[in-house]
Amino acid sequence: CSKILDEQPRSIYEPGFFTTEKGIQGGITSMYAHLRYIYGNAYYYNATLTGTDEVTYGQQADDNFLAMDLSGRAELNSNNSRADVLWNVVYSNINTASGIIEHAAQMETVSDALIAEARFFRAFDYFMLVQTFGGVPLDLGAGELAFNTNPSRTSARNTVPEVYTRAIFPDLRIAVNDLPDAGRVTGGATKTLARLYLAKAYLTYAWWLENPNNIPTYPETDRTDPDGHDAQWYFQQAYDIATEAIDNPGPFGLQETFYDVNLGPNDRNNELLLYADHTETSEFYNGSSLTYSNGEGTENFAGWMMTWNYTEIRSSSSNSAWTAVSSVQREAVQALGRPWVRMSPTIGAITNTFADKTNDSRYDGTFTTVYRGNWNKAGVSGPVYNVNYAPVSPGDAILTFLDEEPDQAIDYSNSMYNSNVGAGILPGRSDFVISPRGISRRVYPGLWKLGPYRTDNGNGLGEPNAASTRPFNIAKFSELYFIAAEAAVKGASGARNARDLINVIRARAGKWRWDNNGNTEKVADNSAAMVAGTPATIDINYILAERSREYYGEGYRWYDLVRTQKWEELAGVYEICGPNIGDHTPITVTRSIQPYHYLRPIPRSQLDAMEGDRETYQNPGYN
Amino acid sequence: QDDGVGISGVVVDETGEVLSGVSIRSSAGTASTSTDDGGRFTIRVPANSTLIFSYVGYTAQEIKVGGADQQLTVTMVAEASALDEVVVVGYGTQRKEAVTGSVATIGGDQMRDVPSANISQALQGRLPGVQLSQTSSQPGATTQIRIRGTRSLNASNDPLVVLDGIPFPGSIGDINPNDIKSIDILKDASATAIYGSRGANGVILVTTNKGQSGQPARVSYNSFQGLKNVFSKYPMMNGPEFVALRTAAGQYQNGLDESDDVDTDWQDLFYRTGNVISQDVGVSAGTERGNYNFGGGYFQDEGVVPTQKYSRISLRGTVDQQLGDYFRIGFTTNNNYNVTAGSQVGLYSVLSMSPIANPYNEDGTWKRTIRMPLDDPWTVSREIIESVQDQWLNETRAYATYNSLYGEVSVPWVEGLKYRINLGLDYRQSNGGAYTGEGINSNNPTTPSTASISNSHTYHWVVENLLSYDRTFAGKHHINITGLYSAEQNKFNRSAMAARDIPADAFQFYNLGQALGEITIDPAGQQYELWGLMSWMGRVMYSYDDRYMLSATLRSDGSSRLATSHKWHTYPAISAGWNIGREAFMRDVSFVDMLKLRVGYGQTSNQAIAPYATLGRLNTRPYNFGNDNYAVGYYVSQLPNAGLGWEYSETWNYGVDFAFWNSRLSGTLEYYSTQTKDLLMNVNLPSTAGVGSYTANVGQTQNKGLELSLNGVILEDRNGWTWEAGINIYGNRNKLVALSSGQDRDENNWWFVGHPIDVVFDHEYIGLWQEGDPYLDILEPGGNVGMIKVRYTGDYNADGTPVRAIGPDDRQIISMQPNFQGGFNTRIAYKNVDLSAVGMFQSGGKLISTLHSSSGYLNLMSGRRNNVQVDYWTPENTGARYPAPGGAISGDNPRYGSTLGYFDASHLKIRTLSLGYNFGQHNWMDRVGIDQLRCYVMVQNPFVLLSPFHRETGMDPETNSFGDENAAVTTTYQSRLLTIGTNAPATRSFLFGVNLAF
Repeated sequence: CSKILDEQPRSIYEPGFFTTEKGIQGGITSMYAHLRYIYGNAYYYNATLTGTDEVTYGQQADDNFLAMDLSGRAELNSNNSRADVLWNVVYSNINTASGIIEHAAQMETVSDALIAEARFFRAFDYFMLVQTFGGVPLDLGAGELAFNTNPSRTSARNTVPEVYTRAIFPDLRIAVNDLPDAGRVTGGATKTLARLYLAKAYLTYAWWLENPNNIPTYPETDRTDPDGHDAQWYFQQAYDIATEAIDNPGPFGLQETFYDVNLGPNDRNNELLLYADHTETSEFYNGSSLTYSNGEGTENFAGWMMTWNYTEIRSSSSNSAWTAVSSVQREAVQALGRPWVRMSPTIGAITNTFADKTNDSRYDGTFTTVYRGNWNKAGVSGPVYNVNYAPVSPGDAILTFLDEEPDQAIDYSNSMYNSNVGAGILPGRSDFVISPRGISRRVYPGLWKLGPYRTDNGNGLGEPNAASTRPFNIAKFSELYFIAAEAAVKGASGARNARDLINVIRARAGKWRWDNNGNTEKVADNSAAMVAGTPATIDINYILAERSREYYGEGYRWYDLVRTQKWEELAGVYEICGPNIGDHTPITVTRSIQPYHYLRPIPRSQLDAMEGDRETYQNPGYN
Repeated sequence: QDDGVGISGVVVDETGEVLSGVSIRSSAGTASTSTDDGGRFTIRVPANSTLIFSYVGYTAQEIKVGGADQQLTVTMVAEASALDEVVVVGYGTQRKEAVTGSVATIGGDQMRDVPSANISQALQGRLPGVQLSQTSSQPGATTQIRIRGTRSLNASNDPLVVLDGIPFPGSIGDINPNDIKSIDILKDASATAIYGSRGANGVILVTTNKGQSGQPARVSYNSFQGLKNVFSKYPMMNGPEFVALRTAAGQYQNGLDESDDVDTDWQDLFYRTGNVISQDVGVSAGTERGNYNFGGGYFQDEGVVPTQKYSRISLRGTVDQQLGDYFRIGFTTNNNYNVTAGSQVGLYSVLSMSPIANPYNEDGTWKRTIRMPLDDPWTVSREIIESVQDQWLNETRAYATYNSLYGEVSVPWVEGLKYRINLGLDYRQSNGGAYTGEGINSNNPTTPSTASISNSHTYHWVVENLLSYDRTFAGKHHINITGLYSAEQNKFNRSAMAARDIPADAFQFYNLGQALGEITIDPAGQQYELWGLMSWMGRVMYSYDDRYMLSATLRSDGSSRLATSHKWHTYPAISAGWNIGREAFMRDVSFVDMLKLRVGYGQTSNQAIAPYATLGRLNTRPYNFGNDNYAVGYYVSQLPNAGLGWEYSETWNYGVDFAFWNSRLSGTLEYYSTQTKDLLMNVNLPSTAGVGSYTANVGQTQNKGLELSLNGVILEDRNGWTWEAGINIYGNRNKLVALSSGQDRDENNWWFVGHPIDVVFDHEYIGLWQEGDPYLDILEPGGNVGMIKVRYTGDYNADGTPVRAIGPDDRQIISMQPNFQGGFNTRIAYKNVDLSAVGMFQSGGKLISTLHSSSGYLNLMSGRRNNVQVDYWTPENTGARYPAPGGAISGDNPRYGSTLGYFDASHLKIRTLSLGYNFGQHNWMDRVGIDQLRCYVMVQNPFVLLSPFHRETGMDPETNSFGDENAAVTTTYQSRLLTIGTNAPATRSFLFGVNLAF
């Protein structure tokens, strides 16, 4: 009769399942899946970009964005810092990895290559943590790097060199050794991927050892390497590993054009080493509705943040009196997508970073600069007229963000032709225009790279309110060139110098096969001009500018500026026009970037749940 | 003719006290007399006749006299009045006078003064300490029941329901209120301890109608029906108000379907007139040795929101039969089938729709979508919903059968000893289906159709073996001993599927296999739970001379849900009562009919966590490698806890029961204090543990409270007038005493040590920023005059300037707890006509309106979508409560917009007002065999008084949603906080009813 008190679950897994081979397989899958909680999450995305020279907050920003901008609209603290997204996801994944490594060791049937995937992800997570928060705990409650099953409410932070030398480097070295050239699955971890992260970890740690701008670390520790090497040694290692990866690319390589790297139909191309995958073929496996999303959990909604509300654009249905018609409607295509207006590019990003918009294809391959009529897909029929009552057809330019300041002043009055978004007119043009220095927190070029791509739109507007079903890219083959180049700038030597390496990227950037701006085929090879434009001597600022051109809006920037300790120098001041319709006067904003900001605050939720000394657990400067 | 016999004697009551004024008459002849001050009488009556003794408040006594003179001592027994009502106390009954625990009772008829779909609705405001809160305003919804506050953080706070003696595993909506004879609610630990591990949250004992022995067949028919309308529309802006708001905000121009001269009331185009129908027939009868009762009922509630409807057919039967001298058997069955429909229709799209949008095309047809400045929502109206009801539906069909069988043996050689076995067998199933056709409720006409189904089954059995011994010794020592051994098991199983792109609307959700798109069987939607409980219990109730009462209980429970070595726990309870009214020294206090003091202490516990919580768990993460290579990942989300044991509550209860002036005034006053320890809590671990949580015994809560109920007969048949009134009033003070060690706050869950469990953690609204207010620039970087001003708690520099901007550190803990609440009822009768009212009230506490708060997206103050009608700041209207349109924002809402959603929850609400007519004994009724006939008209929810929220909005202040429902953003509030959101609107109904018996 006491059987009544026995328990046997039949619809959930007990932790014991984890020690079976199928459990280990599932554990590995969950490590890939954990990427989704970080990459594509708009709040984490915001933490990697808002406050850098690339991005500031947009008109609809809330505290999530205002705080990260450090421009005085809200004080960054342990509660509003959105680096918490990372902190809150990775430890359980680290634990899963440790569990797999431990359990698999007792099972002969699990291959080293599979265990190496777990090692890669454990190192990946620690690398992200150490860059974001400084030293972090290696012991989750059951010993260093051991699988934890204790309900531990205490935590002690290791130092930065401990995290690198005991966790990140050893795991990645094994991963480089054991991972296959080609992924076990689509998007699976590979030798090349592990090399990229090992090189990047060496590079980052080298900078940390060098500490050129005397940025504090936490927990406090000497800038000496427990393994007895110096910064220079690590720069060289970074260079060596990166160039080794370039020379032994496996199935990976650079795409023909920059456009192809980020083009929706070309997702999961051979330049991409790691991404948080999504799909439009299954709601369940996509982890998000295919029709409507609220922007949470596993959804890829980062792209909404830098999408301004282009749906407010109006043309006219009459050619004699301005009769507003919505000519650019919300559509699930890469150039448009769902507007949330939480983040906007700075003027400097448009005018300085992407100063060259003609030879270099990367401006065109990054931003949506022309908003084209699509009213026909919404069932609106009848003629539509734009500026000067010029008749326009679906697909025609309705609003254009100009590449350069025009010679003639733009008439932003909207007195006769009311764009409804404060865009201006220029003589002889039928489209509304905004110049680079006229972009505002409210109206700015959209981020084409991250726009949605679906194959099920039919003849309509599709499902623009769903989260993106595209993978969110995390690591690219091209970055190996940047890592090697940066190491070379810092003194590493080898067969290729920094300029050679950067020129590979720049030469590719000069190649065009499509012009987003003109929505037309454009086959051009400006590689020679691009290479000719490379300065003779490359310094770290040039590397950083080049990185921004390559990876603008992809979530690299804060880490790049922090690694090189150039955040304050490059992002301390920015320009943007105001938040209202019709604001076209650049405002110069000064950020208060303090040395302690180079580490993000430990999230309040961690401290709340902790027992023990919370004061010393927090990074200095934050409450 | 002889001259009869002479009889003399004395009349006393049960306590031996003499009774004066007792009238005595003979059954034959006309002789009559009454007792003198000494209780003495003398009368001469015919031999072998019968003497009838009668006295107000006592049962008439008939005494046969013989042929000779004699002396009599007659003991009058008090009538089965309020004093001697029998109370169901669990595993038995007890005379109310002898009860020592805290038990609140309401009779079925009294409860039915508020015609309702279910018991929980009917009980709202009726009993002290029993808080019933509406969690949904949709037809058929049940309410949340909290007895003496909230104790547990993660374990269930729902009381145990016991139907006809058997723990009830179903939905309270499955019990037809018309079948109820009485409801007894056990509130304190000394009363609930007999239910041990399931009694910590109180016990609701539901007793259904039975036939009476010796009763001729009686048929009863009860019916009411009527119409219902919206109590008040949600207070949305009309056209001109909205135009003014949009202009003031200056952010949006009219969308393509909008025009300033249009004024559309979308709610008028949406609501319909609902109706309520209730029909019940019952028949009962009894012989000397057996009785039966059978009944059937139909209930229907059609909501004002199109397609929302609840209907229920119920059938019940009960049979009791004595077999020979020593055996008794019985059987009770309660069955029902119910359908709930219409939850697919939400109110948000109706309320947020622009009032300056014209819903019609030029040809008079409905527009498919309404083009507003930023949004392009699907047009929702009554006519549209009704026209697509085959393409857009959501219904749940449930069938349940609850059965109990018993057999009882009176052990022949020991007087008062009985053995009884109860067997309960219950089954409940619920089938849900939903279908949304292509493009329905979507701005995209080609959004694929979706369908889903879910099926759940509950299987429950219980066996109880009871040994009882009940005997009175020496006339004064009454002893009742009960022993119990029981075992119980409950199995629950749920499966669910969903599919996209059903090719033909006709399939609805009946063949998901035909889907052209993805068919999903989400592991999170499948559920299996099996739990068991074994118990030993012993109870002794002893009373001496009905003056001193003692009750002691010991129960031991074993639960499958807890960890292996912690499954069993034993807890005691003891209570005592002193009937002061029966003491000799009270004899002269003639106005006191009853005065009793009670005190009780007991321990109960709670095991109501989900099964398998001790085992830990892996969560699943679906993923795709490439476009269509699918996989599912697992990771440890919850750790096992091999030490998980019971959560305990210790309660002290002190009570006074009294009845004065021939019971014209009676009542109860109680004070209690409950400490709940070792809370079963889902402890969130710090992220660095690598595992999200584990279930552990940590933390402590406390509830203290005072309860008073009073019932009075103000006029007792004076010139045909009778006026009765009852009131109950109670206040509970809830406090979280401790969390995990070293933890005094859990901001994630809004739990703060030293505060009630139900709090809001948010900024505190203190007004609006006005022109010239100092430090706007420091406290609110980027702020503006007219924006919401919240409390700043930071420091100030020497020059008086604040050191920092307002931030999350300034958030306050805002208690939701009311000062007191209660209910009242009153009935005024003149001859056959009566007028009665039932109401409830609350003083203090907070009400969350998500309509007004940021989470509702209905108070954006930007003119993007329609806005709640609010008085907002303008340079000319600086005294407003709501901020300037188009000011500082956070997300899409005004900054600190969430603070606009908190209102004073005080209110007084009349729930029903009814006027009835009782047909007396007319000849025509006798001719057709009618015993009793009553007709009434009633208005439900007629009005609300003393409510600041009602004054501002015109709305019913009753909550209608859990904190994570019926709002645009459902993560703002903890689910446990009840809110007013965009659920079906409150209604007012007009009913006509008939009660008939023959």
